[in-house]
Amino acid sequence: MKIRFKLNGREIEAEVEPNTLLLNLLREHLHLTGAKYGCGIGECGACTVLLDGEPILSCLTLAVEVDGREITTIEGLARDGELHPLQRAFLEEGAVQCGFCTPGMILTAKALLDENPNPSEEEIREYLKGNLCRCTGYVNIVKAVKRAAEEMAR
Amino acid sequence: MSMWINRIDTHILPINFQYHAPKTLEEALKLLAEYGDEAKILSGGTDLLVKMKQRLIEPRHIISLRNLTELRGIREVEGGIHIGAATKLREIERSQIIAERLPLLHEAVKAIGSIQIRNMGTIGGNLCNASPAADSAVALMALGAELHAQSIEGERIIPIENFFKGPGATALKPVELLTAIRIPPPPENYGWAFRKIGRTSLDIATVNAAVLLTLRGGRIDLCRIALGAVAPTPVRAVRAEEHLRGREPTPELIQEASELVVEDISPITDVRGTAEYRVEASKALVRDALNLSIERAGGGGR
Amino acid sequence: MRQSFRFIGRSTPRMDGVAKVTGREIYASDIYLPDMLYARVLKSPYPHARVKHIDVSGAERLGAVVVTYRDVPDVVYCPRLVSTPEATYKDWRVLTGKPLYVGDPIAAVAAESEELAQRALEAIEVEFEVLEPSFDPLESMRPGKPLLHERIRYMGEEVEVENNIACTMEIEQGDVERGFEEADVVLEREYRTNRRYHCQLEPKTAVVRPEPGGGVTIWTTTQSIHNTRLLIHEIFGIPVGKINVVKTALGGAFGSSIQTNIVVPIAVALALKARKPVRLAYTREEDLHEHCAYQMIFRLKLGARRDGRLTAGSLEAILDIGAHQIQAYPLLGCLVGWWVSLYKLPNLRYVGKAVYTNKVPSCAMRGYGNPQITWAVESLMDELAEELGLDPLEFKLLNHVGLGDLFWGQGPTVKSIIKSSGVEELVRRGARLIGWDKRPKPGAQRGRYRRGIGFGRGFHTSSAGAPVPGTVVDYTGAMLKVNEDGTLDYVTAMMDCGGGTLTAHAKIIAEEIGVPLECVNIVRADTQTTLYDVCTHASRGVYAGGAAALQVAREVKRKLLELAARVLDAYPHALKIRPDEERGQGVIYVEGVEGREITIGELASMARHKNWGTIAAVASVRQGSCPPHFTAYFVEVEVDTETGKVRPIRVVAGADVGRVINPKLAEGQIHGGFAMGWSMALLEDTPYDPRSGDLLNKGFITDYKLPTARDLPPLEDFQVFFVETEEPTGPFGAKGLGEGALNPVAGAIANAIYNAIGVRFYELPITPDKILKALKGGERR
Ligand SMILES: Cc1cc2nc3c(=O)[nH]c(=O)nc-3n(C[C@H](O)[C@H](O)[C@H](O)COP(=O)(O)OP(=O)(O)OC[C@H]3O[C@@H](n4cnc5c(N)ncnc54)[C@H](O)[C@@H]3O)c2cc1C
Ligand code: FES
Ligand code: FES
Repeated sequence: MKIRFKLNGREIEAEVEPNTLLLNLLREHLHLTGAKYGCGIGECGACTVLLDGEPILSCLTLAVEVDGREITTIEGLARDGELHPLQRAFLEEGAVQCGFCTPGMILTAKALLDENPNPSEEEIREYLKGNLCRCTGYVNIVKAVKRAAEEMAR
Repeated sequence: MSMWINRIDTHILPINFQYHAPKTLEEALKLLAEYGDEAKILSGGTDLLVKMKQRLIEPRHIISLRNLTELRGIREVEGGIHIGAATKLREIERSQIIAERLPLLHEAVKAIGSIQIRNMGTIGGNLCNASPAADSAVALMALGAELHAQSIEGERIIPIENFFKGPGATALKPVELLTAIRIPPPPENYGWAFRKIGRTSLDIATVNAAVLLTLRGGRIDLCRIALGAVAPTPVRAVRAEEHLRGREPTPELIQEASELVVEDISPITDVRGTAEYRVEASKALVRDALNLSIERAGGGGR
Repeated sequence: MRQSFRFIGRSTPRMDGVAKVTGREIYASDIYLPDMLYARVLKSPYPHARVKHIDVSGAERLGAVVVTYRDVPDVVYCPRLVSTPEATYKDWRVLTGKPLYVGDPIAAVAAESEELAQRALEAIEVEFEVLEPSFDPLESMRPGKPLLHERIRYMGEEVEVENNIACTMEIEQGDVERGFEEADVVLEREYRTNRRYHCQLEPKTAVVRPEPGGGVTIWTTTQSIHNTRLLIHEIFGIPVGKINVVKTALGGAFGSSIQTNIVVPIAVALALKARKPVRLAYTREEDLHEHCAYQMIFRLKLGARRDGRLTAGSLEAILDIGAHQIQAYPLLGCLVGWWVSLYKLPNLRYVGKAVYTNKVPSCAMRGYGNPQITWAVESLMDELAEELGLDPLEFKLLNHVGLGDLFWGQGPTVKSIIKSSGVEELVRRGARLIGWDKRPKPGAQRGRYRRGIGFGRGFHTSSAGAPVPGTVVDYTGAMLKVNEDGTLDYVTAMMDCGGGTLTAHAKIIAEEIGVPLECVNIVRADTQTTLYDVCTHASRGVYAGGAAALQVAREVKRKLLELAARVLDAYPHALKIRPDEERGQGVIYVEGVEGREITIGELASMARHKNWGTIAAVASVRQGSCPPHFTAYFVEVEVDTETGKVRPIRVVAGADVGRVINPKLAEGQIHGGFAMGWSMALLEDTPYDPRSGDLLNKGFITDYKLPTARDLPPLEDFQVFFVETEEPTGPFGAKGLGEGALNPVAGAIANAIYNAIGVRFYELPITPDKILKALKGGERR
């Protein structure tokens, strides 16, 4: 089946099977390996991408279902080589350890800040609870999201 | 079945099916009529795809609701509030109408999964999946919702009490589609509460409970208590409700009523908790929910 | 006097950070090669069985390449190569005809797509003879129980296994009986830990490309590229030089890739047969059937005099290792080492037994048995203090193993004297910060929500270095060369598992030589271009790996100064190097003489034009010591006595890691350690279904819960502090941290729960279920 969708700002066309998962389309066919497989059943959030700006799980999304929609992956976040404030804040705050959860975590956080530019700590924690991190205990991640929010408000 | 372990591969969806994305409800119903048992409705997919990956179901046809805008949206209608079955959980959570008129549902929906899950999942999916733990189900039970089912034969209305038939089983026929949920206007000055216990904050309920009640002259008048994950389907705690009705909500009464929930539940032991734990937790949740509801209804509470 | 440093002790972003936040970092599971085949593994559905018949023709008809247990080399091996042969038992084969747990690999297929590979897998037909399984080590040890392994290999010989006991260790010092007689109070308790799963976010993966000439290139999730290479050589006989294991980023491991994961030899076997690149990426559910932490049963007895002195201790430990030995024997040694290094025991007896069961094989998990035994000891010490009427803090400080004492860094063969310790300060400061004096009396509260404060302390070794060789391999190689623009290429085989190890190395190099941090380029390396490094484990990354980095930096600096002395017409020892951020490199100058300077780039270019050769150094470094880093946790919890739920209220965590190289990243280790300890205490377990013999969660993490951001304490209630000491043997005085950050957490939480509700628990995890049951039954042991 042929589908067309916008990927990181670019119109693209892809040939997929009905059972092709969005995650595999991105990673294997479109060579965007930023979205990770961590569980395949919706529990970890490592495969998070933005669908029309909202975080969804690409491991539970049929590729055909994004026909006509817009997808943003972590690779599409930095604009013209300039890091997104969230990416900078994750670096500065030591919010990255092994980094496997990072792409999904940053995308979810982006959706949060787009929707709520000044979230409380509790709102941040609630919003990020679908993204598991085994390394950081989330402390520096929460700090980074706060910091990015402050920077973006400036 | 013994080689089940070798049939699971959650990297992919190891099942071949035909994909349909009907443009109209009518078209969808026709497809359902044609394929019946062999077809599965794809709404948000957060239950369906997991079950397919776990090889628990292997439909030959997938009928996607993605183009059916008529199945989406929330509006006030005569006779209550109408929610399209394919409305995303996130949309319900964000809806002004729901937050103001049905805060109980708002809170139950917010308790479902993560942001990602609620961006994908729909209320119809939550109900049709018929998990005994479904969070929206207990709230809708307490609210006395009606479910609208449609097939090419026509429409029928199923009170939510009669909808769940067991884990994964509903009153829907294979050719029927759930189109909408209708919630009657709640009574004046009602009190409500939703409570959920999971192992972590991202979990299917070990136990969940919803309460809706009103007070008249300092006595409990209308009262509905629903519990999830403690029986094959979400259940009403009828004995506790009866015990409360018409009486003054003293701490002793609340205590007695919460003890009575055991009469209507039949929990099992599974990975999420033991049967004994579920009994204890049910009592605690119902007591909390009753107290909070009474307070919200303007009573003294505790 | 405190030295002042440019990079050491300051928070700097990790050097692989930009790649990680932009999604450009490449992990083993991100490797897709042209013309590559996808592999799937046929796993045993039975916990104990024998394959009677296997028919793979269905898979082959679909075009798949298939290997079964009959096609792989007949080599019995141990997948972990950290210990010397004297401490290594071998009982693994690449694929097996006698599966020992649900999930044990029997055969594997490779095909052009994962869909096809999966179809081929499902087309394989197997007939099993089902054997009786054992799921409990006590049951498994009973005479007459079917043996998992009849014979295993040790030092090139076959040895018989009796009663499923994989290995044992006994140690006795002093006179234990007399020691207990001298005691005024003796307590004896039995503890049982949970069987945790690492749940590193990246499931195990191997991608193998056969090379012309018979070699293979391997990308895999590993904590040691060199040991992976040596193991593939051992199994397949491919010359070492023809095996190249490439470093990739690692999506967490926590000990689960110290050994070479089973995906590697399977993918090699398939690639050799297919003559094409093969990708074998485990799914999460397969990963959950690949490894887990050691579950342990302890019978622990401690005796003390009224004055608070411990007089004797005995520990019987039974380790449920699952179906294979990965490092059971070395662990028996480490376990006693952790035990005796917590508190001084003048008389002690230890009996350790590792037992086979028909469950997923166990391996090291952050702390290597230390979190388990520390939980038990910290719980019993608390209990003992109460019996003695002493403050647990004082009781523990009085008896703790500290400065000048002998420390067992890695079992009986790896010991050294402790030369730096901040224990006292950690405990005192932590107590002040949490308000230890104001903690409630245990069990005195009556309301629904009850709060309690608990204390746990611990340590972990930094590396397995020691003055004598011992039975553990521990050394690291490093190379450093100066490029013509003044940048430096740093080449090491050491892996960064996420802790920021290599960033720390870069800081050590930049500090030592005097160049801007950005000048240090961490080379993407592989086994063919690096010196041997044993493994990133045992909190050795900064302490041992950093020592190698420091040594090559010193050597390069010496050479730079020698050459610069010629050019600048000055004496080498009179020269200095300063990082010049504007010029983006180091500048060598003569102190006090204006204008007499040269940049490192100019010098390196000159060295090229004048044919002086590359300015470089190579070193292979062994640390002669294994200094413990120390931690102390104070945790306040709230127990809801009606739901049994425990909520974290406040955490104060202190660590003595020697000199802190990178505070933000070091704090990150504590944060992560606490989260892991929190769920070790309260949440994590992998119980089995006795009917199917499979994991109750079947491998789905739906039922292996980890804490989310929502389940952990708020920022302002999580306080971390460091007590800086100077470890004389560490690079710039640094020690390790990764594991000490976890070890005492579960003990602190268990003690906090006791403080809140007056109930002690002897089994992990402490679930709401158990709490309610205990409260209802009024149980109080
Ligand atoms: C990680 C994770 C966490 C979760 N947490 C929770 C939780 O906390 N609480 C909770 O209640 N649930 C939870 N769920 C379950 C799930 O997300 C919800 O039940 C969700 O609402 C399902 O909606 P859906 O649109 O995705 O359903 P789908 O998967 O699309 O459908 C579910 C089932 O209903 C059928 N169906 C869907 N719509 C219709 C219709 N209109 N007519 C007839 N049949 C229909 C489908 O054929 C399918 O059998 C979780 C799931 C995951 C993966
Ligand atoms: S891989 Fe999609 S949620 Fe884990
Ligand atoms: S940084 Fe490793 S999982 Fe989050």
